[in-house]
Amino acid sequence: MAGLPPLSLYVHVPWCVRKCPYCDFNSHGVGRGTELPEDAYLAALLADLDGELALAGERELDSVFIGGGTPSLMSPSFYRRLFIELERRLALAAQCEITLEANPGTVEQQRFSGYREAGINRLSIGVQSFQPAQLAALGRIHSGEEARHAVENARHAGFDNLNLDLMHGLPGQDVALALDDLDQALALAPEHLSWYQLTLEPNTEFHVHPPRLPQDETLWDIQDAGHARLEAAGLARYEISAYAREGRRSRHNLNYWSFGDYLGIGAGAHGKSSHWSPDGELIIERRWKSRQPEAYLRRHNDPRGFLAGSQRIREDELPLEFAMNALRLVEGVPLDTWRARTGRPLERLQARLAMARKKGLLVEDPRALRATPQGLLFLNELLASVSDD
Amino acid sequence: MTDNASPGRIKHIRNFSIIAHIDHGKSTLADRIIQLCGGLTERELKEQVLDSMDIERERGITIKAQSVTLDYKADDGDIYQLNFIDTPGHVDFSYEVSRSLYACEGALLVVDAAQGVEAQSVANCYTAIAQNLEVLPVLNKIDLPQADPDRVAQEIEEIIGLDAVDACQVSAKTGVGMEGLLERLVRDIPPPQGDVNAPLQALIVDSWFDNYLGVVSLVRLFDGTLKKGDKIRMKSTGRDWEATEVGIFTPKRQQTGILRAGEVGFVVAGIKDIHGAPVGDTITHAKTPDVPRLPGFQKVKPQVYAGMFTISADDYEDFRDALEKLALNDASLDYEPENSDALGFGFRVGFLGTLHMEIVQERLEREYGLDLLTTAPTVVYELAMDNGEIRYVANPSKLPDMANVDEMREPIVRANILVPQEFVGNVITECELRRGTQLDMQFLGNQIQLAYELPMSEVVMDFFDRLKSISRGYASLDYSFERFQAAKLVRLDVLINGDKVDALAAIIHRDHAHGRGRSLVEKMKELIPRQMFDVAIQAAIGGQVVARSTVKALRKNVTAKCYGGDVSRKKKLLEKQKAGKKRMKQVGKVEIPQDAFLAVLKVND
Repeated sequence: MAGLPPLSLYVHVPWCVRKCPYCDFNSHGVGRGTELPEDAYLAALLADLDGELALAGERELDSVFIGGGTPSLMSPSFYRRLFIELERRLALAAQCEITLEANPGTVEQQRFSGYREAGINRLSIGVQSFQPAQLAALGRIHSGEEARHAVENARHAGFDNLNLDLMHGLPGQDVALALDDLDQALALAPEHLSWYQLTLEPNTEFHVHPPRLPQDETLWDIQDAGHARLEAAGLARYEISAYAREGRRSRHNLNYWSFGDYLGIGAGAHGKSSHWSPDGELIIERRWKSRQPEAYLRRHNDPRGFLAGSQRIREDELPLEFAMNALRLVEGVPLDTWRARTGRPLERLQARLAMARKKGLLVEDPRALRATPQGLLFLNELLASVSDD
Repeated sequence: MTDNASPGRIKHIRNFSIIAHIDHGKSTLADRIIQLCGGLTERELKEQVLDSMDIERERGITIKAQSVTLDYKADDGDIYQLNFIDTPGHVDFSYEVSRSLYACEGALLVVDAAQGVEAQSVANCYTAIAQNLEVLPVLNKIDLPQADPDRVAQEIEEIIGLDAVDACQVSAKTGVGMEGLLERLVRDIPPPQGDVNAPLQALIVDSWFDNYLGVVSLVRLFDGTLKKGDKIRMKSTGRDWEATEVGIFTPKRQQTGILRAGEVGFVVAGIKDIHGAPVGDTITHAKTPDVPRLPGFQKVKPQVYAGMFTISADDYEDFRDALEKLALNDASLDYEPENSDALGFGFRVGFLGTLHMEIVQERLEREYGLDLLTTAPTVVYELAMDNGEIRYVANPSKLPDMANVDEMREPIVRANILVPQEFVGNVITECELRRGTQLDMQFLGNQIQLAYELPMSEVVMDFFDRLKSISRGYASLDYSFERFQAAKLVRLDVLINGDKVDALAAIIHRDHAHGRGRSLVEKMKELIPRQMFDVAIQAAIGGQVVARSTVKALRKNVTAKCYGGDVSRKKKLLEKQKAGKKRMKQVGKVEIPQDAFLAVLKVND
């Protein structure tokens, strides 16, 4: 019997000062200065983790990602305690990447060295834009100036691995403004840049009151020009919206994209875990936790535990679920990865790929699953043809 | 049925229909009558019980005739058997109306006391009068503040020529005047004639297929008695059957074991095919084969034809089965296989009108789970060939070589339109735009009656909707086929990326061809989504391109957002995208949505 996929841990912190109008993540605005129930949440997270330990088996954690919400609303001591308890339960790999999402607000920045001391070795700073007009349109509560300071402070605190989150396709944005955002970001020399297009999601304020977005032609021009600018600056694209310097790709996200396993703890966190059934079948399951922070906290003393639901990935869904992740990677994945992650013969996947190959969206390569340049541009078409029976 | 066996029973039968415009309250009135006669308990009385198909109820229209038998205790102390035969109210289904009326001695003409008379009711009322029915005018909705019963009564007299001075004034909604209406009904509508002891002579008013019983026929007995177990003969086929179930609708199907002259009810005889009990056929006993056939009904001819195709070619067999089943209950549905270069195998289906078409498509999709694509409907053209042959064409792509056609003729209808004076200018302009010729214009009360001759192709498209929108909903329309008339017609072809798409071709008048071609390509440009490559749309007449437009290629189609560990949202997005594609048909490399196939209906010059 083969082993299990690599394992990561996702920790969700569900609170924000204010919910952004575009955000469809599980985040809940509490206002500036509200005292968060750090102790109770820490206790809940650990109890939640205890319930997941059996899924880890013998595996150590290759990465940890603390996302939100705004995880930088929690104090360094919260994370110090979290990591002490975490390491009592699970082993961290030698090169374990530990990322925390932070907002560039002044209060948060004072905590950066505390985070570094707690064991966090990578910061992901939610800059989104440097332009006042675009920041206002996005409902962000920080300025471009604060973002620059945040990076300085992070460096000062000893972070040598930084990601900046930047959005494009923003209301009122043209190519020049988008490139200016990139230039300002590049001037801060981040190791990693997530550059993603604003999309209007259901259940967001933008869905109810949609802002005026740039025309398709402008959006495409922004993407083309921005891509060229980033590549020229030595940030190579390795995923649809992720750029990194050599050796600085996000391990945590790579694990998602190569269909690895991850435990998810915290309100609304999602996890994916695999185990072998007694008759030699790899069972792959998705699990998700109670969403509302208050409800999640109450679950601590609830015999049901924190789980809100779980679902086995059906046999016929596997090719799409796998491709949906793997094909976001510019280099794709070796075809062996399919067998290793799903425990299924390659034919199951191949059967779904014929149409995409015929359309010229997939590279004809016996060893790799990889989109052609055209396939990367039309990934939605590509995935639609993979999902067809 | 307290007094059923007595020979004088027939004097206490009243067979009637209700003639009403769609929203003039027929269903509410029917419900109220059923309730007053105790046909259903309050709890059982679902709203609008007679409109039994889901689609009928949702759209608030009646498609098929239905009946209900009720007992009414009149003021004279006698109990009357009321047989109410429902009639469809939409112009597409007018032939069904004359069928229902044939089974009756009287009809209630229900007119909205606020809205006034509308054209479809006028036409149906004339049909009733022509069939010697006693027509009782009823002014409904008198509870509305804007009700003006005197004016509407006058309108009935002026437009229809019916004495309406003492018309019943009711509100079916509140129940006001309903008792009086039922009294008038038994007083003024004559009882049926007929002899229970004569040989059986019954008319099939309607037949439908029931999954458990086979064919159920709604019948009106003119003479004789029909009992369960009788050997009956269908006059049209000469075949004999055993009547296994005989009874009435209350409106639930209720076996009584017997039907007598003058009555309306159902018979089941183990017939598995609707053609074994065709509508309009005469039933008698096997032992009295010489009983003459009743006049029956004119076979209804489809007015418009459209191609119907499954989105996925794999569903063709299911589609054929579904059409067969649907045709069991819809004698007006006419279909034959069609092979389109662009859309593959499908059927050319004939309909009574565009509403009928929409309903059929909706039923096929809803009841049979099919994803269908319908091409723009077209009327039937008459072609005089140079060898003297006359041909009929109902598919633009099947037009023969025009070199061999001496003359092409289009169907012309006579349209009667009733419209309040203030909108008459709009209506005239619209009729002129559609190549209409005015025949007559009369001022009748507050309304004007316009008679026009119009090409049928102009009427079946979106004329009815258009009329409604230019008259704030007040104009009403009735039309009937008059004749074929020579016209300068051409075929407008549509080319997608250089390939002629047969399913997009349309026959139009030469004078309109260039303008329509231009607006058609523009409309299609809006409707065809951007794809991975440029999509060129051209309109051509006789090989000459008259208009062109391009749907520019998408440069990308990728979701840039990173969803992290929660893949469910991303999956939902992909599923949504897939669902959108379901409504599209792949023609060559290009995906064309259903709307684009109907674009020709939506363009004006």
